[in-house]
Amino acid sequence: MGSHDDLEAALRELGEHVGPSAPPTDGVARAVRARLEAEPAAGAPAGRWWRPRGRWIAAVVAALLAVLLGFTPQGQAAVERVLRFAGIELHIGDPGPLPSGVPRALPGEKRVTLAEAREAVPFEFLVPAALGDPADVRVADGGRVVSMFWPGIRLDAYAGVLDVLWRKDVGAPFPEEVTVGTSHGWWVRAPHGLTYLSRDGIGSKDLARVAGPTLVWQRDQAGYRLEGLPELARAREIAMSLR
Amino acid sequence: METTFCRAHTPREGAPTDDDEAITRSLAGDLAAYEALVARYSAIAHRTAALLGAAEEAEDVVQEAFVKAFRHLSKFRRDAAFKPWLLRIVANETHTATRARGRRAELALRAGAEPERLPDDPEGVAIATDRRTRLLGLVRALPEREREAVVCRYFLQLSEAETAEILGWPLGSVKSRTFRGLARLREEVGDGLA
Repeated sequence: MGSHDDLEAALRELGEHVGPSAPPTDGVARAVRARLEAEPAAGAPAGRWWRPRGRWIAAVVAALLAVLLGFTPQGQAAVERVLRFAGIELHIGDPGPLPSGVPRALPGEKRVTLAEAREAVPFEFLVPAALGDPADVRVADGGRVVSMFWPGIRLDAYAGVLDVLWRKDVGAPFPEEVTVGTSHGWWVRAPHGLTYLSRDGIGSKDLARVAGPTLVWQRDQAGYRLEGLPELARAREIAMSLR
Repeated sequence: METTFCRAHTPREGAPTDDDEAITRSLAGDLAAYEALVARYSAIAHRTAALLGAAEEAEDVVQEAFVKAFRHLSKFRRDAAFKPWLLRIVANETHTATRARGRRAELALRAGAEPERLPDDPEGVAIATDRRTRLLGLVRALPEREREAVVCRYFLQLSEAETAEILGWPLGSVKSRTFRGLARLREEVGDGLA
């Protein structure tokens, strides 16, 4: 339709006259460099830490957990460590009181079919063959999360490479670093507080609930959290059956 | 991953020639290489922040986004394009900044942007300016998501796929929100555009 094309052309033309005209270039580059140099500890690209490229990293993590496990008597758990991994912020230490109240749906949660879910989310996710087709599938928060349900089991898949979507507050027994096939993951055995963080990173009290044992891992571009299996072996078996 | 890491230990001399090399060198801690990458994308980053509503905070938003991008660089998928990945961080930072402020900045026509096209035709300039002002007013009045789609697709001239990545929407949402936004604008504009 002619007027349609005219409108698109008019919008493109309008775009040339909106927004900043003289873009800063070198100034920004220098400022960014200065900031990175000023914080040398955090200067190296993050993510290296939590995506082990070498054994030393696993060793450091293991040592950290050993410290937490071995030398942290009750009451000293106030030493909090924060691990960021596969879209999850794991706060390890004093978990505080577990959230109470009824679990609420995630923002904008809708019941869909598996095929609709694949259309609705901007990342690819897999389904564990060991469980068969989910009994219920939901997409929430504008396609940020897809949740699959089987009796007593919940699997959330989300684009967890860049964003942090969940906060877990975990006390003893502390999370255990595990492998899921070739990926690296965490097994959180203890009941813990789980808060969904909305897109701007703010988690409201309404979105906090108690979570049961959970396995967290990443595969390709999706992060996964599998909740409801009391035994790591079975959780891992299911996690490794993603197809 | 391992090969990338090894390669990163033997940085080449001089300015990086492409994004991939700049990223490899940045991952090895070469800040000059990252500075080159920042210089290459700061204009589009700044424009994205401003048009998505960051106003006078755009500069802070852009700096913060580049610092974050550096820290998350190892999570960047190397077979993907750097620009949409970066702009996604810019868009997230913009949302955070505008939400903290409670309201987003209005899109505004650039002062003094008018005369370049029809220097000998003051009447024509006035009409063009008036038309732009009116169309911009209509874009401003669009529902937020439709406005973001229109801003990305037409003002920033990004592809549907890039828009989807930057705003974190499924491709289908980009298509439908752009379509709805255009339909709404067309209805309002009527015949007044020609």
